[in-house]
Amino acid sequence: MTRIVAPLVFGVLLLAAWEIGVVIGEVPSYIMPRPSEIASALWANAGDLAAALAVTLQVTVAALALAAMSGALIAIGLSQSQLAERVFFPYAIFLQVTPIVTIAPFVIIWVENIFIVLLILAWMAAIFPVISNTLLGLKSVDQNLKDLFRLYGATRWQTVRRLMIPSALPYFLGGLRIAGGLALIGTVVAEMVAGTSGTRSGLASRLVEASYRLELAVALACFALLSAAGLGLYVVLDAVSRRLLRHWHESAAAT
Amino acid sequence: MSEPAFRLTGVAKTYPGGISALSPTTLDIARGSFVGLVGPSGCGKSTLLRLLAGLLTPSEGEITRGSGTTDTGFVFQDATLMPWANVAANVALPLSFKRRGAEGVAETLKRVGLDGFAGAYPRELSGGMQMRVSIARAIVTNPPVLLMDEPFAALDEFTRFRLNDDLHILWQQNKWTVVFVTHSIREAVFLSQRVIVMSPRPGRVLADIAVRLPDQREPGLRSSHILADQCAEISEILRRSMDGAMAA
Ligand SMILES: Nc1ncnc2c1ncn2[C@@H]1O[C@H](COP(=O)(O)OP(=O)(O)OP(=O)(O)O)[C@@H](O)[C@H]1O
Ligand SMILES: [Mg+2]
Repeated sequence: MTRIVAPLVFGVLLLAAWEIGVVIGEVPSYIMPRPSEIASALWANAGDLAAALAVTLQVTVAALALAAMSGALIAIGLSQSQLAERVFFPYAIFLQVTPIVTIAPFVIIWVENIFIVLLILAWMAAIFPVISNTLLGLKSVDQNLKDLFRLYGATRWQTVRRLMIPSALPYFLGGLRIAGGLALIGTVVAEMVAGTSGTRSGLASRLVEASYRLELAVALACFALLSAAGLGLYVVLDAVSRRLLRHWHESAAAT
Repeated sequence: MSEPAFRLTGVAKTYPGGISALSPTTLDIARGSFVGLVGPSGCGKSTLLRLLAGLLTPSEGEITRGSGTTDTGFVFQDATLMPWANVAANVALPLSFKRRGAEGVAETLKRVGLDGFAGAYPRELSGGMQMRVSIARAIVTNPPVLLMDEPFAALDEFTRFRLNDDLHILWQQNKWTVVFVTHSIREAVFLSQRVIVMSPRPGRVLADIAVRLPDQREPGLRSSHILADQCAEISEILRRSMDGAMAA
C-alpha cells in the first residue's frame, strides 16, 4: 500500500509547493505556469491532445512490436553461428551508439510517408536492447540441458524452439521493457526533428509547437501526457512479463 | 557370455587446453549390470560418463556399444529440468523427439512416487522431488542403458536411502545396464554388482571389485558387517592412491 501511497503523497506535496511558489513569486505563466493551469489546459484541449497522443502511441507501439519481432529473429540468427555474430553484432552496436537525431534528416529525405519515417527512427532506437538481451539469453542455456537434447536426438530447430527460446524468454522480456521506453523516446525525438504538422501530428510535435507559441501550460500538458504514456507502457510490459514467467522464473515470483 | 553393453579399448580424454582427464582405459561393461564408479573429485568420472553417453568423443581409443543399446537415459548431479515446463512435460521430453507423445508418463511418475504432481512446476518441488522427476525423465523410454552422475549427492541421507532402494528395485525389474557415479563408497557398494575405483587425475582404473552381497539389496544390509568390510577395502585402496598422489 505504501508503495503506491508514499510516492503519490510526495508528488502532491511537490505540486502544491510549485503552485504556491508560482503564486507568491508572481511568475508569469508564459515562463512557469501553475499546475492548475496545466490541468485546465489539459482539460480544454483534451480531444486535441488525446488525438495527438494516439498518433504518438501508434508509432511507439508499432515500433516496439517491430523491434521485438525483428530483434528476436536477429538474435536467434546470430546465436546460430559464431561467424554471423562476429560479422553482424558490431552493426547492432553501431545502431545503438549512433544518436538517432543524426540519422533522422536522411531518413526524412529518403522516405516520404511521415508515419514510416517515425516508425523507422523509433524502431532503430528500440531494437538494440532486444537483440543484445535475447542473444545473451540464447547463449546462457544450461549446458547440461543442451547435452540432454543432443542425447535424445533433438534436431537443431527443436533445440532452438524448445530449449533456447524458452531459456531466453526472461532476457528477451527484460530487453523489451527497456525497449518500450526507448521506442517512446525515439518517437518523440523523431517527431521533434521531423516537425510533423497538421492533423496527423503527434504529441511531441504539439509540445514543440505550443512552446514556440509560448503556450507553456499546453506544452507541459503534453509533457505530462508523454510521461504518463511512458509509465503506462512500462506497467503494461511489466505485467505481460510477469504473466508469461509466473510459473517458473524467480523474477515473477509472488512475494 | 553375450556381447557387453560397452567396450572401451584404450579410451583416453584430453580436453582442449591440454587437461588430461582420463588415462587410457580398457574395460567392458556387461549388459544388465549395475556398475558403481567411485574416485576422488576431478578424477574424470563425469568425463567417463559423458564419453559413454557419446556427449564427448575420446581423444584416443575406441568405445563400442552393444547392439540395441543406443537409447540412453542420463541423470545429472543437478536435476537439470526445464523450469518453464511442468513435471509431465519435463518427463515427456525424450518421448517428444521420438514422436511418442506422452505414453507412459503417468505410469513413470507413479513408479518414482510422484503421481499427482504432473501439473506442478519444478520450482514448486523439493530437491528430492526434482531429482525424482529427473530420474523419471531418464527412464520414461525404458532405455536399456542408464547413466547417472552423482544423482543423489545433493540430498539428505534419508531421502537418498529411499531413492537408492527405489532405484535398486527398478533396476531389478527392468534389467537396465546402469553406470552410477558417486562420491559415496557406501552407496556404490550397496547398489552395485561391481565397483570401479579410479585414481586421482588423470583417472585410470585402480581397482575393479566384484561386490559380495546378496542379489536382493534389503535396506537392512546398510548396517551389515559385510557391507562395512567392502567399504573399508575400497577406502583403503583410495587412501593409498591419494597418499601416493600427495607424495609424488
Ligand atoms: N569441459 C572441460 N574443459 C576442460 N577441462 C575439463 C572440462 N571438464 C572437466 N575438465 C577437467 O577434467 C578433469 C576431470 O573432470 P571430471 O568432471 O570428469 O571429474 P569428476 O571425477 O567428475 O569430478 P567430481 O567428482 O568433482 O565431479 C578435471 O580436472 C576438470 O578440470
Ligand atoms: Mg563429476
